[in-house]
Amino acid sequence: MTSIQMPQLGETIVEGTILKWLKQEGEAVAADEPLFEISTDKVDTEVPSPVAGTVTKLLVAEGATVPVGTAVMEIDDGSASDGLSAPPASSERSMGAAVVAETPAGPVPDRGPRSQILSPIVRRLAKERGVDLATVAGTGEGGRITKADVLAAAGGPTPAAPLGMVAPPAPAVTPASIPATPVVPVPPSVPAGAGEDVQPMSHIRRAIAGHMLASVNQTARAWTMVEVNVERLVRLRAAAKDGFQEKYGVKLTYLPMVTRATADALREFPLVNSRMQGEDIVTPRSVNMGIAVSYDAGLIVPVIKGVDAMNTAGIARAIADLAARARAHQLQPEDVQGATFTITNPGPFGSLISVPIINQPNAGILSLDAIHKRPVVVEGDAIAVRHMVYISMSWDHRLIDGELATRFLARVKHNLETWDFAEDLGL
Amino acid sequence: MSDAGSAWLVTPAGPVGYDRANEAMHTLAERRLAGEIPDTVILLEHPPVFTAGRRARVEELLWDEPSVEARGGLVRRIDRGGSFTFHGPGQLVGYPILGLGTKPDAGAYLRSLEEAVIRTCTSLGAEVTRRDDVQTGVWAGDEKVCAIGVRLLRARVTLHGFALNCDTDLAWFDGIVACGLPDHGVTSLSRLLGRDVTVGEVRPIVERHLADVFGLAFEPAPVDCARVFDSVADVA
Repeated sequence: MTSIQMPQLGETIVEGTILKWLKQEGEAVAADEPLFEISTDKVDTEVPSPVAGTVTKLLVAEGATVPVGTAVMEIDDGSASDGLSAPPASSERSMGAAVVAETPAGPVPDRGPRSQILSPIVRRLAKERGVDLATVAGTGEGGRITKADVLAAAGGPTPAAPLGMVAPPAPAVTPASIPATPVVPVPPSVPAGAGEDVQPMSHIRRAIAGHMLASVNQTARAWTMVEVNVERLVRLRAAAKDGFQEKYGVKLTYLPMVTRATADALREFPLVNSRMQGEDIVTPRSVNMGIAVSYDAGLIVPVIKGVDAMNTAGIARAIADLAARARAHQLQPEDVQGATFTITNPGPFGSLISVPIINQPNAGILSLDAIHKRPVVVEGDAIAVRHMVYISMSWDHRLIDGELATRFLARVKHNLETWDFAEDLGL
Repeated sequence: MSDAGSAWLVTPAGPVGYDRANEAMHTLAERRLAGEIPDTVILLEHPPVFTAGRRARVEELLWDEPSVEARGGLVRRIDRGGSFTFHGPGQLVGYPILGLGTKPDAGAYLRSLEEAVIRTCTSLGAEVTRRDDVQTGVWAGDEKVCAIGVRLLRARVTLHGFALNCDTDLAWFDGIVACGLPDHGVTSLSRLLGRDVTVGEVRPIVERHLADVFGLAFEPAPVDCARVFDSVADVA
């Protein structure tokens, strides 16, 4: 049994739509015969069969859009479905299919302690060359079967595998505790009627939609908020903004100060700056701050690399530069890659409290909302009018717990309430 | 096939009817797939024709077919990806029929195609960029100067290609929502450079940059291959 997956047509192409099945269940196929037509946001193609056999199952509907690597069809090519040649379990899972433990069907002779540990490339090669791994004696460490062993068993080099069906890298592993969710859910269909305008979603809108939904589906989002007294920052900005603009050519806003304070807190609590990679936690030693910028095409998150080594004036200029280039559609791919944490800033539009969606693979996203004067209780139990702001964070409970999230936000609050930004602004 | 990297170049003189070119391109791609011919690039002009890719929507054709035909154009639904576009006199159309090798990377192929066109425009003095945030193609700000639409045969041989406006009559684009993008416009090298830039001027520059970017050494295609592009008018 061979499982056919949505092929990887290039690194930048992450999903494809099945336009048309060219072979139906029960039909015979020859090797390299077209099986189905796909459309991606870049290119359309027919997908040829890597094997000769009979189509036994179509796993998705015509018109469905699925991620690269998703199993879409099964072909009985006479090879045993022995688990060793099973597709990556994660793609099975994303289709909502049962996950079957990868146990060989028959007894496998014990030829060495590592003889059953197989690399993906060995499995793929064995499948492509029709080699039964149970019959191969491994020459690698501890009897492990190597690529060379498979090639030798296959009787030397044979023509390259059919193109276009080169097995894609296994999709990111979905932890078993996360229930399978269709990547592209089917909403109730309400066709447009009179008095309604219709326009196709732009590619960027589709990309945003996909990222947002994936984040909601894949993270354990929790949310924590603190209230920050920014009276000193408001006074500082009022006094310094003209001089700052003159000296640096950019407007002085609160965002660079909050970014600076957040970068410090990320250095203090590196786990908030980390990401999950499979079952590992990867913690970068520096902070690359994603700054959410809205522009005519939607939303984009350019990244300030090494923001923890910059002062507030430098951050202000970097933000102004990235925002201007985002709005002029001049960002380069590297400008939007590698964020380790993200800040969103809906405050200028008037929002009081926001619950943002995490910019994956980050562990958290901080929201800076609107600064307002509020009556607050100050020292001596007096009530006074102060400039206050709610600063909050959506965080991934898989990586962070409430105590850390709260201590992190308390550090941001402490920085903003106690730091003397005047010096940091180079004034 | 002789040296590695040697490729055929087909440059028919005069406009080639869309149907004939489309059929010949598919035939060449099948032969490329079978390994009978080397990589081949066709550079030509078409008489006026609107082509609709797989993603095209009926409402993006703003003129009805009879009025397109009354203006001397045709409408064709074809097998490439993408939306509506226009081909016509003054536009250099390139159809690279390339084998993408054992690990086809369609994204990289499109970037290379863009790169060859960007180098061509830049060497003529036009400021153009990619717009990954909008759509494949080559852009001058919010206006597209070169549309790109590609299909792969068996996921490994390229079909269709690019359409670079040299001195195209841009009024034709009023007939469609070009590339399905209502908020973006089209432009031409002539408009960008403020002088008349002809297909004849641009073609050798495109040839050079395609050869550089894809590592091809062009030689003229054999006569029997080139002859199928001899002009035959399409039937409306």
